[in-house]
Amino acid sequence: MTPIASGPFQVPWSDYVPALWQALLKTVEYTVVSFAGAAVLGLIVALLRLSRLRAVRIVAAVYTELFKNVPLLAIIFVTYFGLASEGIVLSVFQAGCLSLIVFYAAYLSEIFRAAISGVHAGQQEAAEALGLGKIATFAHVIFPQALRLALAGTNTMAVDLLKSTSLLVTISAAELMSEGRLITSATFRALEVYLVIAAIYFALCYPLSQALLWLERRIRAGVPLSPRRHRRLAAARRLLAEDGATA
Amino acid sequence: MTPTTIPQPTATQALPAADDAVVSIRHLSKSFDGRTVLDDIHLTVRRRKIVAIIGQSGGGKTTLMRCVNLLERPDAGTIDVAGERTCADGKITCRDLARLRQSVGMVFQRFNLFPHLTAVENVMLAQVRAGTPEKEALARAVALLRRVGLAHRGLAFPDQMSGGEQQRVAIARALALKPTVLLFDEPTSSLDPESTGEVLRVMRELAEDGMTMILVTHEVSFARDVADWVVFIDGGKIVEEGLPADVLGRPVQQRTRAFLAAYGGPRGEDGG
Repeated sequence: MTPIASGPFQVPWSDYVPALWQALLKTVEYTVVSFAGAAVLGLIVALLRLSRLRAVRIVAAVYTELFKNVPLLAIIFVTYFGLASEGIVLSVFQAGCLSLIVFYAAYLSEIFRAAISGVHAGQQEAAEALGLGKIATFAHVIFPQALRLALAGTNTMAVDLLKSTSLLVTISAAELMSEGRLITSATFRALEVYLVIAAIYFALCYPLSQALLWLERRIRAGVPLSPRRHRRLAAARRLLAEDGATA
Repeated sequence: MTPTTIPQPTATQALPAADDAVVSIRHLSKSFDGRTVLDDIHLTVRRRKIVAIIGQSGGGKTTLMRCVNLLERPDAGTIDVAGERTCADGKITCRDLARLRQSVGMVFQRFNLFPHLTAVENVMLAQVRAGTPEKEALARAVALLRRVGLAHRGLAFPDQMSGGEQQRVAIARALALKPTVLLFDEPTSSLDPESTGEVLRVMRELAEDGMTMILVTHEVSFARDVADWVVFIDGGKIVEEGLPADVLGRPVQQRTRAFLAAYGGPRGEDGG
């Protein structure tokens, strides 16, 4: 790996494109799996924190405070090296995702709890008065409104999680940062390599945050996201238009 | 509209039980944190009749109404809705709470429309959840919006509508499940006079169509016009009840007179 030319780019990047592509996919994989897991766990913890039972609320609060106040790196080390020393051996991927999930679930649960409590109490009553059961009330009345309130914070966390996957370099998770370290040790061009790696992270995160902002605006504007609701509104539009013509 | 009994406006008088009673309340009591809100209430609402409940804020009228669809659980007494005992002595005996609430529509003071849904979806939601086919639910929702004069606003979201429009959508939503009785909890209290007029017009049409209604209101003149029976509640007790012309025009009780003096005053022959 001798430099072919002088100038800012001396690493033979074309040789590394396939490896970088694999690493990028790995980063995306970590992000998608961990975010999905964190969102589900975060929602469960948020619901537990809103439970009528004090004991349940306390358990959920302890969870949130614990993982909010411990560094992510410490969680990664405990799940990968710590558990392994006790005979619980997780693969790098399992340990990486588990760490990200438990850490981000704590933050997301705070965002979700605030959002759910932020839905006006009259909404619950109106749904109950219409004969909607507990699950239907949550699914069709509380959750969609809480989602709107939670979107901004949740989106920030999604981008933050993507960036935090870079900490998995410490357990050689084969994602972008780990690949950057490999290329650096082969080329000794640390500045160039890590600038390129940083640029790739930016190229992932910036469109992601913009896309999430766009989604947030669409949802706030009440644009139907599910095909079912889209069809329902289209049918309503047709029927109401007929009405306008005859009225 | 003619009463079958000559009203005797005494303190806790109950109407005689009747076969056409849609709601029948006996010995109902309710307290919050040791404070008695309702004290031994008797009330019968018959089919196609409109009962107006008037009284000071905090006097228990809203709580009484919320007991009918069990949004509040009474501490004592019984309630029968459409022939089924829904609660007795502090226990809910209603086997199917969802069905009870489908048969008792409710309109709130603050509308409580679902802000993430359009007007037509607000009217459709409960129908679809109750198993009505999509197409049928939509057709009914559009028909109901037309009935409250809002077919042209069907795709508007609540925050794009005036208070009067929102409340009319809320009435359409409450009618969607073909309830046997409608509850109105101060439906015009958060509206400006113009919106109040719109909403009262819709309610008057419902009354003319023979809808059974319980109405908690401060609109004394509206109660006089549409109600078949007026109940004045104060301090958790029924102080006086009877025909609108009597309770609102010739109140017997001092407390009723004081209330009416503050909220519009009796306009009978001996009014003023």
